[in-house]
Amino acid sequence: MKAKIQVVLCKCCTEIPSVLRLESLSKLASESNNVMSVMTVDAICDGKQLAPVMNDVKQKELDRAVVLACHKKDVSPTLLRAYRRAGVNEFMVELVNIREEVVLPHANEPERAQAKAEAKLRAALARSLMLQPLERQTEEMKTRNVVIIGAGVAGQAAAKEAAKAGAHTVVLEKSGKTLKVPGVVMQHSTLVGAEGYGGNLKLKIRAGEKVESLDAAALVIATGGGWTQLKGSLAKAVKDAVPLYKLNEQVQVDAPIKGPVVVVDSPDPSGKTMAVQDFAWDETLETVVELKKKHPETEIWVVFQEMRAFGLSELVYKEAADAGIKFIRYDKGGVPKADPKNPGVLSVRDFSQGEQLNIRFGTLAFASIPANPDNRLIAEVLRIPMAADGGIRRGSIQRWPVSTPRPGVFVCGSALFPKSREAAEAEGEAAGAMASAFVKRGTIEFGGVVAEVEQEKCSACLTCVRTCPYEAPFIGAAGKAEIRIQACQGCGMCVGICPSKAIELRNYTDDQIMIETRTLLGGDF
Amino acid sequence: MAERRPKIIGFCCERHGMDSAVLAARTGKQFDASVRLVQVPCAGRVDGIHILQALEDGADAVFVLGCLEKNCYYDTGSIEARKRVEYVRQMLAEMGIEKERVEMFNAASTNAWAFPEIVAKMVEVAKKLGPIEEGERR
Ligand code: SF4
Ligand code: SF4
Repeated sequence: MKAKIQVVLCKCCTEIPSVLRLESLSKLASESNNVMSVMTVDAICDGKQLAPVMNDVKQKELDRAVVLACHKKDVSPTLLRAYRRAGVNEFMVELVNIREEVVLPHANEPERAQAKAEAKLRAALARSLMLQPLERQTEEMKTRNVVIIGAGVAGQAAAKEAAKAGAHTVVLEKSGKTLKVPGVVMQHSTLVGAEGYGGNLKLKIRAGEKVESLDAAALVIATGGGWTQLKGSLAKAVKDAVPLYKLNEQVQVDAPIKGPVVVVDSPDPSGKTMAVQDFAWDETLETVVELKKKHPETEIWVVFQEMRAFGLSELVYKEAADAGIKFIRYDKGGVPKADPKNPGVLSVRDFSQGEQLNIRFGTLAFASIPANPDNRLIAEVLRIPMAADGGIRRGSIQRWPVSTPRPGVFVCGSALFPKSREAAEAEGEAAGAMASAFVKRGTIEFGGVVAEVEQEKCSACLTCVRTCPYEAPFIGAAGKAEIRIQACQGCGMCVGICPSKAIELRNYTDDQIMIETRTLLGGDF
Repeated sequence: MAERRPKIIGFCCERHGMDSAVLAARTGKQFDASVRLVQVPCAGRVDGIHILQALEDGADAVFVLGCLEKNCYYDTGSIEARKRVEYVRQMLAEMGIEKERVEMFNAASTNAWAFPEIVAKMVEVAKKLGPIEEGERR
């Protein structure tokens, strides 16, 4: 069947015609192959103007469209739905961002802008002819369970919030502690296995002696930090030391703080069990400066192996030093120590002066806190990435701050990195709300722009299996790679890396990308 | 004849990459029109062959723009893309073509000046190096 294209030129009210001559774009379009109709509208984002466009589609039985308007994300959902209703597959609608890519940034050079817009139109038409109609599919979630790992501050907040929103919650708690949270609490339980994808996850849970299976629609990781499992010589010697976030909290709420105050970079200064965390330095500076402002009489010591004074933190460092805060650098030869029999004194060799100091303190805080050792197992089971300091790594901020890179798997509280109770609680609530919103959809949508393996070409080298961040490719029964489309996010990373060129990303094939590139290069501007 | 205008292709991910370009435009930045953006779902979709073909088809310079590596929407996409760009650069060097013609960039969607800087940098490269000599092209 011959392709029948509709071209829509949006004026974006008056913005686009102020730079471009729409008549010549319209002429170019109408003279191009397969273009059956060209329409100019004032603002395609205005729902009222959709009707004539869609009537035109229906009347002429068009099967694809090229729309020159603004940034995709602003125009697409309603527009694509309208096209769908008019009988045009939404994957056959090519949106060209003429406003932000041409009109706004080249407003001072209308001639070049015009030529560029024409090239973009030609490229879109070329691409349009190569597009395939695609379908999104849905799968029912078999359960509405939100499983929460960990019943600390963040975990409890997540459970309460998710339950409030109507989800069925199951909390896995490692210890035998009894909890007042909604839903089911499984004591003495840990996650030991997981299969599937967000929406339909099959979990294996060790509860006491038994291993049980549990279906879950979404998962919240709230394992907490590793403060309760603090190791290291200094931590053992000074039992009443506090984490830095605790000290910070006390400063914020004006709680009494017993001076002198010492902040040491790590509970294990010899570095055997953990490394100093990235944020330790900045957060220490911030806390001690504030403390000094509120309590100028308090003597403050900052004991660090490395002082990373760069960028803005250099200014704060200077401010702190001017305010009389004492900075002591140590090296491996003279790490800070405390005698358990005399725990109120920290002895350390000042690296720059070479002298041995004995600092009497009322409060000792550690700037770095180990991550929860359970994170490693959980990350392995769920195949999600970890941060260098042992926390769970969150996904891109565009997927929201409490999301992991895997859809349906959320993370909150100190499982990410150590934080105060308030912050952990707030994150727990956010994760609980997100998880319940996720399960409330009741179905998972997938398909559309996804990867596809041409099995004859596949040599089962496993490269795609290792590359995909979402575990979508697997080697199927035929000994060839297959894509689990429910898990495929359509990034296309596996395509270029396949040594046998056996994978294609629908509607982003090599040919489609290269035709677009070539057409754009054909323009002279 | 007027000064020859460079032709530059920018493969741009539809997440932070495109968002940074859009933000630059919306905050009123003006930049050279020579850049032709080709949108891909993720920088990791870009393959060496796309870059080489673009040079073959007349681009003076090509860049790939993805999310910041620690904030990539597809997790490892922009790291993957960088590896491939590096590979192409090595190939070009072996073929006797300046590897500066091909570059990988990362941008945050909230950074309005990143994109104009990238454009300026690539335009400068393209102008300095001029078109790829016929003999150089495969
Ligand atoms: S990378 Fe290509 S050849 Fe290797 S297993 Fe995947 S599809 Fe098959
Ligand atoms: S397109 Fe992306 S998500 Fe889909 S299988 Fe390939 S690498 Fe995985």
